[in-house]
Amino acid sequence: FVLLIGAGKTPTLGGGFHANLGKESRAQTLQNGKRQIHHLGNQLQLNQHCLDTAFNFFKMAVSKHLTRGRKMTHVIAACLYLVCRTEGTPHMLLDLSDLLQVNVYVLGKTFLLLARELCINAPAIDPCLYIPRFAHMLEFGDKNHEVSMTALRLLQRMKRDWMHTGRRPSGLCGAALLVAARMHDFRRTVKEVIRVVKVCESTLRKRLTEFEDTPTSQLTIDEFMKIDLEEECDPPSFTAGQKKLKIQQLEKALSKKLEDFEGEISSYQDEIEIELENSRPKAKGVFANFTKDDPIDDSTSSILGEEEAEDEELEAAANHLNKDFYNELHEKDRAKTDEDGKCKNGNEALVRPPALESLLGPLPTAASLGITESIKECISTKDREPGENTGDGELDLSGIDDSEIDRYILNETEAQIKAELWMKENADYLKEQKEKEARIAKEKELGIYKEHKPKKSAKKREPIQASTAGEAIEKMLEQKKISSKINYNVLRDLNSKGSNTPKKEDDSTDDSTNTKKLSRRKSIASRNIANPVNSVGKRLRPLISTQLAKKAATEEAIFPSTQAEAPDLQKPAAVLVESGPVAYNPDEEVEEEEIEDDDDHCMSALQLMGGNGKLGCSLNY
Amino acid sequence: MDADSDVALDILITNVVCVFRTRCHLNLRKIALEGANVIYKRDVGKVLMKLRKPRITATIWSSGRVMCTGATSEEEAKFGARRLARSLQKLGFQVIFTDFKVVNVLAVCNMPFEIRLPEFTKNNRPHASYEPELHPAVCYRIKTLRATLQIFSTGSITVTGPNVKAVASAVEQIYPFVFESRK
Repeated sequence: FVLLIGAGKTPTLGGGFHANLGKESRAQTLQNGKRQIHHLGNQLQLNQHCLDTAFNFFKMAVSKHLTRGRKMTHVIAACLYLVCRTEGTPHMLLDLSDLLQVNVYVLGKTFLLLARELCINAPAIDPCLYIPRFAHMLEFGDKNHEVSMTALRLLQRMKRDWMHTGRRPSGLCGAALLVAARMHDFRRTVKEVIRVVKVCESTLRKRLTEFEDTPTSQLTIDEFMKIDLEEECDPPSFTAGQKKLKIQQLEKALSKKLEDFEGEISSYQDEIEIELENSRPKAKGVFANFTKDDPIDDSTSSILGEEEAEDEELEAAANHLNKDFYNELHEKDRAKTDEDGKCKNGNEALVRPPALESLLGPLPTAASLGITESIKECISTKDREPGENTGDGELDLSGIDDSEIDRYILNETEAQIKAELWMKENADYLKEQKEKEARIAKEKELGIYKEHKPKKSAKKREPIQASTAGEAIEKMLEQKKISSKINYNVLRDLNSKGSNTPKKEDDSTDDSTNTKKLSRRKSIASRNIANPVNSVGKRLRPLISTQLAKKAATEEAIFPSTQAEAPDLQKPAAVLVESGPVAYNPDEEVEEEEIEDDDDHCMSALQLMGGNGKLGCSLNY
Repeated sequence: MDADSDVALDILITNVVCVFRTRCHLNLRKIALEGANVIYKRDVGKVLMKLRKPRITATIWSSGRVMCTGATSEEEAKFGARRLARSLQKLGFQVIFTDFKVVNVLAVCNMPFEIRLPEFTKNNRPHASYEPELHPAVCYRIKTLRATLQIFSTGSITVTGPNVKAVASAVEQIYPFVFESRK
């Protein structure tokens, strides 16, 4: 609002103001970023060249607007890590997250995004880079170099043995160092190594056992230093996978034998099927199509069967179950007298046999897929309009078993029980909601209710208690963040001038508005002073709050003083980068009408300052 | 190095996610009370309904938008969605089944060989990204298909894409690259 009006009155100023803001903000961001980079970088002991490169990355990120919506600290960390990677320093992402107390994966996400956006290819991490660093931390003394060398050789061996793909480099380092230490007669427990390397104990043990599986582990220390085994091993997860495959194959072989027996049975079952079909009541109307479709269904589903993966056990079980289900259905079929019901059931029953046949046929197929296939056929034949779903929105009921869906719906008693259970479980949440509602209702009554939008809670400050206006200002300044756009010296001078003029009591009880203002002022005084007038621009706030502070402190009418200050106000107003002093007062006036509490208070100040004659005069009695 | 073993590779679809609209306001409380297989999450404002027949979990919002997950094929997803709409109809809402769309398909595929991940990443720089500190697989993104593949060193590949076709063509596309960096 303010800006708009300001622009109206002094267009050039408004335009200039905007441009100025943009550049300043960018410069500020970069400056801030530089400071943070240096701060973090020093903690990581990065040299100046790295820090400069990191800052360059940061500049690029800012120009691509990658800092928007992300915490600055995350972006900074990502830039630094990128530098570490490109330079090949032994810093881990874990170190950075330790420093910042941020989740590693969150940092990793930001880092990946940054690398992608800036098209920078970070070379892959080599665990060998970490060895000297960890070795140093484990304090091997004089033999540091030797142990590192041994560990390096071990690592290279691990790489050849396919242990390192897809694993955290730190875990491998830990294992290598542990073994190397033992080889050189240093006792380093697993716990010590873990603390340095930052992996879990189980991870370390796992790496050790994997290494144990490789043939290299069988060599003695001397042999290891001299010989390098030729053969390479498979990665451990691969061997585990191979085992699984073998087990599966065995199972398949077993079940194939079962199949042979089933083949005999199926031929008998086919005959039974035919008998049953003949004995079933003929379906009428639309559903007559299905009887014709049956043979087609059968063939398609059996073809499918050949192609699909076979899970023999499941099919045998499904086989068994389906037989029972089919019998059940068949009974139901005979029992129903209602024509629609009959037709529908007939439809279902017709749907079932093809599926069953495919099941019992020569090549067993996955039961569910067999059924869905035949249902698909039903759907396609029933579709009158090809693209009806998109246009019409009518629900296509084909193939949907209503009776089963009915089972999903609870009856009265069940619903009650469920409601009770749910209430008990979610009691806390419900209580919270009730309290919230009660609070809102109360506030509404009192007329104080505000639409609380989720935002950061404003800092609550104590009301300033001071004996003089000057003290009040000082205290207020201490509390409030100092803005660079206000000349505080001028404000202090204002105050000194104010205190000199005689303080006059506000006697005029006739003027009801005045008393109201006074009383409100007193009530406001007891409230937080620093709570600024909301809608007024930030820059105007300190000024107004100083005014408020002064008034609260004195608790008397300083109208004359404020009046006298009116010309002085022009100076501080001029200090404001915003609209000129002349515009200042009417601006407030226009706005204050819309604001709630503090408004009246400010209006009083305004009217005093702006509308010179009236109030000032009345109070001068 | 032709990708002719396409036919031999089985791509197993593990999950299909779809959404549809019922074009009517749904009273979540009523659904929660009268449905036998529902979980009511009042704090987030949705109801989870699980179907047994196509094994599907549906998330229902009061605005009428429904999201179904857990199907193993596109047809099954559609079938399950219609079933769900039917059961909502039975509960008494004037449901209209519109805007059905398959949003995401997740599939798993197994290569008969292992893959050298660092080498693979080097050869496929912009598309592939590998952070062993964070995740043991290489993340390969195909922008044209809007598909993402996670390639593990054991040769198993997880693909996610907007529909089954995209997933299949993604696997076809990646095969030659992966074959290059095989063990």
